Amino acid sequence: MSTRREFIQTAGATVALASLGAQAQTRPSIGIIGFQMSSETHARVANAAEAAAKAKGWTAQVLNSRGEMPVHISQFDTLIQAKVSGIIVAMGKPVEADAQFKKAKEAGIPVITVMSGSSPHAPFDISVNEYSVGSRAAVYMLDLMNYRGNILTQRFEGNTATRIRGKVLDAVLTENTAVKLLGTHTMARTAAWRDDVKAGMSALLLKNQGQVDGIWASFDGQAYVIDDMLQQTAGAARGKPVLVSVDGGVETYRRIADPKSFLMATIAIPFERMGTESVNVMERLVVKREPHDSINAGPYIYMQSDLVDKTNVAQYIKK
Amino acid sequence: MKPLMIRYGTFFASCALFVLFAIFAPNFLSLGNLTNIVKHISFLAVLALGFSLALTTAELDLSFANVCSVASVSAGWLVHNNYPLWSAVAAGLSVGLVAGLLNGILVTWVKVPSLIATLATASIANGFAFMITQGVAFVGAWNPDFLWIGRGNVAGVPILIVWMALLALAAWFLLKFTPTGLRMLTVGQADEAARLAGIPVRRIKMLGLALSGLTAGIAAVLMTANLASAAPNSAGDFMLTSIAAVLLGMTMFEPGRPNVPGTLCGALTIGMLGNGLVLMGAQYYVQDIALGVIIVASVAVSSSFLKRAALSI
Repeated sequence: MSTRREFIQTAGATVALASLGAQAQTRPSIGIIGFQMSSETHARVANAAEAAAKAKGWTAQVLNSRGEMPVHISQFDTLIQAKVSGIIVAMGKPVEADAQFKKAKEAGIPVITVMSGSSPHAPFDISVNEYSVGSRAAVYMLDLMNYRGNILTQRFEGNTATRIRGKVLDAVLTENTAVKLLGTHTMARTAAWRDDVKAGMSALLLKNQGQVDGIWASFDGQAYVIDDMLQQTAGAARGKPVLVSVDGGVETYRRIADPKSFLMATIAIPFERMGTESVNVMERLVVKREPHDSINAGPYIYMQSDLVDKTNVAQYIKK
Repeated sequence: MKPLMIRYGTFFASCALFVLFAIFAPNFLSLGNLTNIVKHISFLAVLALGFSLALTTAELDLSFANVCSVASVSAGWLVHNNYPLWSAVAAGLSVGLVAGLLNGILVTWVKVPSLIATLATASIANGFAFMITQGVAFVGAWNPDFLWIGRGNVAGVPILIVWMALLALAAWFLLKFTPTGLRMLTVGQADEAARLAGIPVRRIKMLGLALSGLTAGIAAVLMTANLASAAPNSAGDFMLTSIAAVLLGMTMFEPGRPNVPGTLCGALTIGMLGNGLVLMGAQYYVQDIALGVIIVASVAVSSSFLKRAALSI
C-alpha cells in the first residue's frame, strides 16, 4: 500500500517538475554571471539584474565565478550548453574570455556586459566613464584641501576601474604640485583585503601622524576601513583629514551624513540601474527583436554617475 | 557487500549523481556538454594529482595553487613579450619544480612541518606573482603555437583531456609499477618502518613535494595556454576544490589512501556537480552548499562502512 502511494507521489512530483520545465521553456531564461560575488559591487549588479528579469517573468540564474578565469569560462560554456536566451556578465573579462564570447555569439546567445569593457562578440557594455569618475573624485578632494597639503592614497591595481581612478589621480597631482603625496598603500590580497588595507594604512597614518590632510581610496570598501580607523584615533575630527572615495551605496551615504565620519564624498556609480538596464537591453534584443543599431550606436552604453557629498546626501538616503 | 561499499561507495554515489543529472538536467547528456565537463576539470585534476603525490608521502602541499599562479604569470610574461615558445613552457615548469624543491628542502632538511613550509611558499609565490604582473593580467594576441598547447585538438579530442589522461597514466604507473612508487607508498604509510627498511625517506618525501610543484607548473602552462591570459591569482580557487577532489578520491578504490583513479573520479564528481546544477538552474550559492553536503555525505557513508568493517575484525 505504502509502496503504491510512494509511487504515485513520485510520479506526481516528476510530472510537476516536467511541467515546470515546459513552462520555463516558453519564457526567456537568462544566465547572470557575477565575476566575484563576494565583491559588493558585482553582487549589486547581478542581484539587480536578477530582480529585473524576474519582474518581467523571466527565469534568471545567478552564477559566481569567484574571481577565477577557469571558473568563469566553465560557467560560460555551461550556460551555452543550457541554451539560455541571453547572458549578462557583471564585471567580466571579455578579452580573457574571448573564445567563450565568440562561442555564445555563434550559438545566437547575446551577451550583455556591465562594467567589463567591450568585445567584438558582445553587443553592448553598460558602463560609467571611469576616467571622468576618477577625475571628479580627485578634483573634489583637492577642492576640499584648497589645492595644498599632504595626502595618502589607498589603491587597488587588480581591477581596471580602480586602476584607472588611480592613474587619473596621478595625472591630477602632476598639475597640482602644492599637494604632496606622502605615501601609498596598494592592496595586494583580494580575499582578506580589509585586513590588508587596515595594516597598510595604519602604518602610513602612524608614520605621518598629524601631517595628513587628505586620503584618497580607490573604492568605498577601503574608505570604510580607513574611516573606522580614523574615528578611533584620539583627537581626530571630521575634515582633518578629508576622505574621498568612489562607488556609493547605503553604507557610504550613511557615513557621509554622519558628522563623526571622515568620509566626505563619493562618486555614486549606479550599479543597480546598470543591472536593470542590462535586462532592459536584453529584452529589446531577445524579446522585441530590435536591431542592434536602434538601441545604441556604439558598444558602450554610458550611465550617469553622481557626486554625493553632504549637500545632496539626504536625497540618496531617501532612495 | 560491505567491502564493495567501502571500496566503491563514493563511486556509486557519483554514478547516482550522474543518473540524477541525466534525468533532470536538460542537455546534460549531450556529447558537447560531457566533453565540456571533462575538459573543464582538467586543471583541477592535474593539480589534484600533484597534491595527491605529495600526500602519498604523508606531506601536505598547500602551496600548489599559488605556485601554479606564479608559474602561469612567468610563462605568460615570456609569451606576452614574444620570447620563444619553449622558454615559456620551460619557465612555467621550472618555477613549479623549484617551488616544489624548496618545499622539499624546507620539510626534509630544515625540518619545518609541511603545513607551515608550504603555506610560507604559497605566500612567497603570491608575492612574486603580483610583483611580475603589478596586479594586471597579461592578455593579448599570443603565439597560436603556444595557445595550441591548451586549446588544440588531437583526433577531435580536446588536448586538455589528452594531457590530463597522460599525466594520470604517468602518476598511476609511477605509484603502481615502479620501485620509487612503492617507496612513496611505504613512506606515506609508515615512515619510521620505511627508514629502518633502508628507504631514503628524506629523498622520497622531497620527490613527492617536488612532483607536486612540477605538476603545478604543468597545470600553469596548460591554463595559461587555454585562457590566453595570465593573472596573479588565476589558480587560487583550485586550492580547496583540488583538496576536496583528493579527499573524495581517498574514500574510493583504495580507501584511506590517495590514489590516482579516486582523485580523477573526485575531480569528475566536482566538475559534474557544478555543471549539472547550472543546467538545472540552481543559483550559485546552492552549488557551494551542495558540494559541501556531497563531500561530507560520501565520506561519512564510506567511513561508517570502514569503521564497521574495522570493528568486525
